[in-house]
Amino acid sequence: MSDVVLTMTDVEAGYGGGLVLQGLSLELERGTITCIVGPNGAGKSTVLRVISGLLKPNTGSVVLGGQPIGGLPPAAILKAGVAQVPQNRALFDGMSVHENVLMGGYLIRRQRSLLHERLEMVGDLIPIVRERAHDKAGNLSGGQRRMVEIGRALMLDPSVILMDEPSLGLDPKSVAKVAELIREVASTGRTVLLVEQNVRLGMNLATHGVVMEQGTVRLSGEAAGIADNPEIATMYLGKAGG
Amino acid sequence: MMANLRRPRVFIPVILLVLLALIPIVVQDSKYQQSVLIVCFLFAIMASGWNLISGLAGYVSLGHSVYLGIGMYTGAILGKAWGVEPMFLIPLGAIVAAAVALVVGIIVLRTKSHAFVIITIAVLLSFQLLAANLKKLTGGSDGIIVQQPSWAVDLGTKPYYYVFFALLVLTILLSAFVMSSRLGAGLVAIRNDEGKAASIGINTTVYKVTAYVLSAIPFGAAGALYGQYLGFVNPLGAFAILTSVYLVLAALIGGRGTLWGPVLGGFIVAIANEAATTISGGVSARVLIMGAILILTVMFMPAGLLPSISSMIERRKAKRQTVKFIDQASIASSLSDVDTTLIAPRPHRRDHAGDAVLEVRNVVKTFGGVDAVGGVSVALQRGSITGLIGPNGSGKTTLFNCMTGTIRPTSGQVILAGNDITSERVWTRAHDGLGRTFQITRLFKSMTVLDNLVAPLERTSARQMVAGRYTGDEVERARDILEFMGLQEFERQNAAALSFGQQKLVELAQVLMLRPSVILLDEPASGINPTLIEKLANVIRRLNEAGTTVLIVEHNIPLVLSLCDHIHVLAEGKILTSGSPEEIRNDPMVIEAYLGPDHMLEAPGV
Amino acid sequence: MEIVQVLAFGLLLGGVYALLASGVTLIFGVLDVVNVAQGAFLVFSALFTWQIWDAFGVEPLLLIPVMGFLMGVLGWGIYRGMVMRVAPQGPGMTVLLMFGVALTLEGILNLIFGNKFKSVTPPYFTESFTIGQLVIPLPQLISGVLGFLILGGIYAYLRLSWAGRALRASAQNKDGAALVGISSVKSASFAFAIGAATAGVGGVLLSIMYPIYPATQYDWIARLLGIVVLGGFGSIPGAVIGSLILGMTEAFANTYLPQWSSLFFYGTILLILLFRPHGLMGAKTREDVA
Repeated sequence: MSDVVLTMTDVEAGYGGGLVLQGLSLELERGTITCIVGPNGAGKSTVLRVISGLLKPNTGSVVLGGQPIGGLPPAAILKAGVAQVPQNRALFDGMSVHENVLMGGYLIRRQRSLLHERLEMVGDLIPIVRERAHDKAGNLSGGQRRMVEIGRALMLDPSVILMDEPSLGLDPKSVAKVAELIREVASTGRTVLLVEQNVRLGMNLATHGVVMEQGTVRLSGEAAGIADNPEIATMYLGKAGG
Repeated sequence: MMANLRRPRVFIPVILLVLLALIPIVVQDSKYQQSVLIVCFLFAIMASGWNLISGLAGYVSLGHSVYLGIGMYTGAILGKAWGVEPMFLIPLGAIVAAAVALVVGIIVLRTKSHAFVIITIAVLLSFQLLAANLKKLTGGSDGIIVQQPSWAVDLGTKPYYYVFFALLVLTILLSAFVMSSRLGAGLVAIRNDEGKAASIGINTTVYKVTAYVLSAIPFGAAGALYGQYLGFVNPLGAFAILTSVYLVLAALIGGRGTLWGPVLGGFIVAIANEAATTISGGVSARVLIMGAILILTVMFMPAGLLPSISSMIERRKAKRQTVKFIDQASIASSLSDVDTTLIAPRPHRRDHAGDAVLEVRNVVKTFGGVDAVGGVSVALQRGSITGLIGPNGSGKTTLFNCMTGTIRPTSGQVILAGNDITSERVWTRAHDGLGRTFQITRLFKSMTVLDNLVAPLERTSARQMVAGRYTGDEVERARDILEFMGLQEFERQNAAALSFGQQKLVELAQVLMLRPSVILLDEPASGINPTLIEKLANVIRRLNEAGTTVLIVEHNIPLVLSLCDHIHVLAEGKILTSGSPEEIRNDPMVIEAYLGPDHMLEAPGV
Repeated sequence: MEIVQVLAFGLLLGGVYALLASGVTLIFGVLDVVNVAQGAFLVFSALFTWQIWDAFGVEPLLLIPVMGFLMGVLGWGIYRGMVMRVAPQGPGMTVLLMFGVALTLEGILNLIFGNKFKSVTPPYFTESFTIGQLVIPLPQLISGVLGFLILGGIYAYLRLSWAGRALRASAQNKDGAALVGISSVKSASFAFAIGAATAGVGGVLLSIMYPIYPATQYDWIARLLGIVVLGGFGSIPGAVIGSLILGMTEAFANTYLPQWSSLFFYGTILLILLFRPHGLMGAKTREDVA
């Protein structure tokens, strides 16, 4: 048995009447960073929403480490080990950085020593969590926020972390820092699934790539191969002369 | 109301009103019945008045009985000073209430939802305090004894009965008139989506204040009469918050936003109130019962009686009829030929522009210290289709919102037809010829497609506000536009029943009603199927041929490349490059912006 | 010296108001519900305090935890039984629902206690506390100081406990709270319970200061809502500032312009809203067009 952490098989899902995902299958291996790319409307974010339980799949299965999680409520999926770093502002702006990270451990709040251990772990991994511990989260820059968000998601020691456009709205330096952090997170044996619009950035960061178009997987494989695939430019910018 | 008398929703209430008019004549010794019915009339008048601002426009006032009190005091004070029966001062009561409402409305309507509810209570209590403390004018908390009527004793309460009755009829006529007018349509639009209403040219401030003033008039008129009926006026009685709660309850039970609901509710609440007092013999039980009714209504029948009944009837009708499916494909293909005057822009009111119809100059917008847009200048050439593209987070939407007026730039200017519109209101921009659509459609969901189309306004004027909803050539134009876009079958459908793609087309049709010279399209193709995208492209081309300047913000690059004359590429809040589709397609910088630069991931200091 | 006296009065009055208004603003912050029944809750608590004091001669201040707990349970029940179901229909309907609750409670209290003033008069009721020329009636002093202390306690609890943090998290960012596994229903019920508990505690404090009867709920709700509007919805510091402004205005007006005090306050609110439609500490939302 290979080291597959999460499997999606023939998933169909959508909003209202329309199907956004039209029979999507996907496998994620332990310790990998997989990046989903594709033009707007391809259904990238919808994949994350189905895994995290915000959207119930109509058909198909989602399995995490042998346990089916498709259609479970978001809190149950979080407990099962899938954490999320969303695209929009998700921090508690009026709370300190320390409190924000602490809140990530809400579900293990009664296990004090474990909580403390995790806080140490996150503090070691993400220096800013200690450096700006007492600053209000609302005063952080975009890149710093993203790191605190990742730190918060790590508090439950998830096996899978979902990230929606982690580079969105960040300057190149912050993007590099966030990318470095994501690699470090993966190197501890966690699986990262992220959505990026920015193909090269995503592929440089990821170990594996998935290209989506109109609700299905068009291409998938090692990241290096995806970035240079000529089909992708066509998908984004249309056929030359067409 | 103005419609056919044979329709049941018109003739049933009319017959009931006629019967009510006959009661004092037909029923012997009906003094008690009259006194109960007078309270019914009063509640129905108040609930109908309240309905104008709170039912139609959705601004829930919990202090509206303040205008009843103002009418009562106006009648009592002036009646005493002039030695006139307050009954003859009814018009003055109405005028004073309207004047106070104008001043109060301008202030309180700046707030929304929660704050508005609370402020209306504060206004009511403020007047209660004023009345208690301006002793010279109001007699303080003892109040004023009001002059008794001069008519013969054997007439009893009949004169009151008929004058209250007449006021009720007038109030119903007023509210029927408002509902059938453009003002009423505008108010319902505001209730549905205030921001959207502004974007199609509805001057929401003027509309709301007008509704607020009109809603105070029946209260003021009834107040002058009610004061005399009671025989005295005092602060606690005139400005009672409980009265406000009762009248809100009345409108709620009967059905907010309907013509007859508040009237019916007024009767129900007044009779329940009377029953509670007689049966349990005390004020305490009355408050308890009203409270319980309020809780039950909110929890189990929030729409009110009349709307619940009519939706029940409709459901039954719908069962009998087979559901009519509308063929998606047939909509998509047809785009009929039209006289270009139908979709041609109307000339700008004040046009000093050269070639650039809409221009942004050095626009900067900062959110929390970060520049979302960092000094962008763009000019739309007259008669062009311009594209604005760029990756997520590049500042497209922010720039777009600066043009439409949804947000104000931190610095820089927006120029329309040579006029600086940077700080103009959203509706003024619509009047000046700037139309826009939304990425996620914002049609008025409770209205039909046709009502959505006749809602836009090319200007704000009193004459237009009082004009009937379907008067003028708008209905005809709306139908022509729907036909042009192949949407005529949907005319009577509720906007909420349409698919997302259909809604996008209807929203564009709605904007066309403004005859804009510039149309800003916010991701018109997102979330709709390829056939509809093609159709949409055809519509945009037609509009452009007819003389409309178009700006498209879009992620669908092939669509932009095939449609636009000129394209601006935005990245990180700045213009990265501009040019023809050919130039953009072959520009390595654009490819890099979309697919990402190679060097971005070199970690600093490594 | 008179000025100091007035300031001291205002401050103490502000303490009780701040406690009560914090309950309203907390419920609003977490649930988007304007609790117009807060006045009825506190009158409810004050009248039961009177009843117990009258029947058994119990020291009223000892009832603070009891009434706080009882009103908290009542608030929790009202949220679970009613507010939760009506909430999807929007803020307009929840306001009307809470008004219905307020009227129902008033009616019940009317039936039990009648429409008469009740005053709790423990032995210290007529005593005063004197420093130099400053004379402060003991009930005022006790209520004001306890008001601030209990509010401080609640504030510390919200800052330091997990339940409190979860509450603030829900108020600040609902999506973020869901992401870390906070149940929105639990947070909301808890907020409603605490909000109602402040009315339970405040009711005891007011019972030794003012005579109370059921219909006085209207005066209270007007004051509390005014404070919340003034301070900006959902902000506890805003509620404290608003309370101090009201306390001071009332104290000053009572001394120099009796009868006009509330009007002064409403006038201030209208003026402030004219220039800051979102209150003193309220944030302007991005959606706003006007």
